Amino acid sequence: MSEPVPEIETFYDVMRRQGITRRSFMKYCSLTASALGLGPAFVPQIAHAMETKPRTPVIWVHGLECTCCSESFIRSAHPLAKDVVLSMISLDYDDTLMAAAGHAAEAAMMDTIEKYKGQYILAVEGNPPLNEDGMFCITGGKPFVEKLKLAASDAKAVISWGACASYGCVQAAKPNPTQATPVHKVITDKPIIKVPGCPPIAEVMTGVITYMLTFDRLPELDRQGRPAMFYGQRIHDKCYRRPHFDAGQFVEEWDDDGARKGFCLYKMGCKGPTTYNACSTVRWNEGVSFPIQSGHGCIGCSEDGFWDHGTFYDRVTDLTQFGVEANADQIGVAAAGVVGAGVAAHAAISALKSAQSKTQTKPTQSKEEA
Amino acid sequence: MSDSTLLVGPFNRVEGDLEIRLEVSGGAVRAAYANSPLFRGFEPILQGKAPMDALTITPRICGICSISQSAAAALALAEAAGVRPAPQGALIAAVLHAVENVCDHITHFNLFFGADFARPAYAGRPWHDRAVARFTAMEGSAMRACVEARAQVLHIVGLLGGKWPHTLAIQPGGVTRAPTARDRIRMGSTLTAFRRYLEAEIFGAPVEAFAALSSAQAVRDWSTGDAGLFMEIAADLDLATAGPGPGRYMSFGAYPTDDGRVFGPGLWVDGGLAPLDPGLIREDLSHAWMLGEDAHPEAGQTVPDEMMRAPGYSWCKAPRLGGRTVETGAFARQVVDGHAAALELARDGGGVLARIAGRLLEIARTQILMEQWVAAIRPEARFMDQVTLPENGIGAGLVEAARGSLGHWLRIEDGRIANYQIIAPTTWNFSPRDAQGTPGPVEQALVGAAVSAGEETPLSVQHIVRSFDPCMVCTVH
Repeated sequence: MSEPVPEIETFYDVMRRQGITRRSFMKYCSLTASALGLGPAFVPQIAHAMETKPRTPVIWVHGLECTCCSESFIRSAHPLAKDVVLSMISLDYDDTLMAAAGHAAEAAMMDTIEKYKGQYILAVEGNPPLNEDGMFCITGGKPFVEKLKLAASDAKAVISWGACASYGCVQAAKPNPTQATPVHKVITDKPIIKVPGCPPIAEVMTGVITYMLTFDRLPELDRQGRPAMFYGQRIHDKCYRRPHFDAGQFVEEWDDDGARKGFCLYKMGCKGPTTYNACSTVRWNEGVSFPIQSGHGCIGCSEDGFWDHGTFYDRVTDLTQFGVEANADQIGVAAAGVVGAGVAAHAAISALKSAQSKTQTKPTQSKEEA
Repeated sequence: MSDSTLLVGPFNRVEGDLEIRLEVSGGAVRAAYANSPLFRGFEPILQGKAPMDALTITPRICGICSISQSAAAALALAEAAGVRPAPQGALIAAVLHAVENVCDHITHFNLFFGADFARPAYAGRPWHDRAVARFTAMEGSAMRACVEARAQVLHIVGLLGGKWPHTLAIQPGGVTRAPTARDRIRMGSTLTAFRRYLEAEIFGAPVEAFAALSSAQAVRDWSTGDAGLFMEIAADLDLATAGPGPGRYMSFGAYPTDDGRVFGPGLWVDGGLAPLDPGLIREDLSHAWMLGEDAHPEAGQTVPDEMMRAPGYSWCKAPRLGGRTVETGAFARQVVDGHAAALELARDGGGVLARIAGRLLEIARTQILMEQWVAAIRPEARFMDQVTLPENGIGAGLVEAARGSLGHWLRIEDGRIANYQIIAPTTWNFSPRDAQGTPGPVEQALVGAAVSAGEETPLSVQHIVRSFDPCMVCTVH
């Protein structure tokens, strides 16, 4: 994808500097290979790449969000993974964790952009609200959307972390008061990898970023722009409760006998049958569990529009039962159409709203309206 | 130093976005204005939704205190339905919530707050080398140990709640997961490992020893672990007198179980404890970019003033209790619960040291509580009762998040959410001025903070602001 930049040290140099041992490094490489679904033969290849390639600089910015993606990210599986990945990408600019503050922090971002023009990856957590010229999310005195566009202009690729950046998430739920808008609607001239989920699984995040840094290219994406290696199957396909679904054994109410026996949660509103994600295989919090294992159905948080698809405890009604398989691409195409229409409607509504607000006076009139 | 205005922000190493305007003269802050520049509109989004959806939507206000939000939503729904969660369900909810709160405390201490002492500006201080080794952002040894310990102890949330952040397990009637005897053993060993981390890294002594400190002097004299390093730094920089709050502390009471709230509710005012009346809460909108009138959250509205007109300067409303500002947080909780050392620290005037000490006391006490709760789990018991929500009703869910008092006020009409109002801990602490012109707690705490010539982001200001552990994404939501 690009020429190596000689002045940047290699991943391995960075790791050595952080005091990570060779043994741990090799363990990390094999863990990464298995997380990516690659065989043991790829371990030396990953190790070699990390020893010889200059590390890729990363700028990590936060828009309208809740920081859950960062929270998930810093809790990756291997005790070392987070260290390695943190040092590897070095987060040249990250406004939640970095040392600098205030204007010095803003200057650090500009420095990184200048220094690594065209070389860095832009990781976006959250999304820009476009209503009222972006005034609902101001960082450094400017609307976040401007910072996003600026940081994206010289990026090699963009990662949309989580449901916010990928699709909008709950803050974009009707009536989407701030017109929260996913990244790909604002940045249209860069390769964008969507890593949806609220938040995404830590191992998925590190897996995606390691793949990009190691192989210097984007992972294979599905039609929605998600890495196929993690979003190729439905939760339902690999769910450990699937045999109970097939046998017609369901939880009928909370903490009933079926719940104690681990029966299927479909009737409790589980969205596993329509959700593409790796929860049922990779699991959460270092492989400990995932929502269905804790007795609560999947809410489908890695799917576009999950926040506006009726209540989270409604049964999935459009499920094609038994034997008929749909793939993510087909479902994705249908969903994309719906979203397009939704955005147009929102644009119209917010234009109308801003026209109305000009006539509002502060503070009494709106009280009467309400 | 001549009069000047400083704009400090974006403030990093806090959760979310924050900008503070300072009026400086004579080498000190004379007035401060806290702006929460991020608004998403969760309250209007919740209107018209099915009431149970609050359990999924409200946690997404914040990725760091999502369990607090979910616990508050569950309590509000339970109150609307007129039920209490199954006792063992409440116990599990307490375990889930306590793990998150303790994780937030150690994250704050190591990642957000401690990093400021590693700054080059402090080079030459007797403790600086040790602070650099322990607290340097993203590299210090304490940060690494903390991130790892946190990931380990969150296994308990993984086990009981399926995932963290944005755990779904807590419901009005209890929790979705009935733990087995094996889970109980596993959680016990996870807590033992976490105790080892706390005792080796943070306290350098048994947690019981720190929890049992009975005077302010004993806290300030603590010398082992990173807690000791902090006390040494605090003495050198005089952090005990930096950033005093309003001197009124509020707590809704933490961890509702069958035997009541484990850390008791109340108000500490005028040097003594008093009962708390949540009916006295009003949200003042005079300096917020919000339209409408002051109201109790049960009747409150969230209508953003899209023109962002003056005198508004923040999206944050200004909650007041009986017309007065109150400080909330771990320290407030320990004061209101009557911990002897915390009470003395409050009488000494609060401030940066007291807020950090409050968190450390709470970490130590909560570790002991979590061990007791896990031992009290009865796998054969019921963990969730069936709850039928009314077509019309109201409910309030008052809990204590890591950063302080969190309230959800819910009104259901015709089976749908008619109104939903949320006041988060940082809404209290980082509120703007009210109609009387009284500044919010942090705005007041910053008055008098030292500003050296040429400082654009004064260190004293950073210590004071971060001592509150602000969570800006919760503040406005």
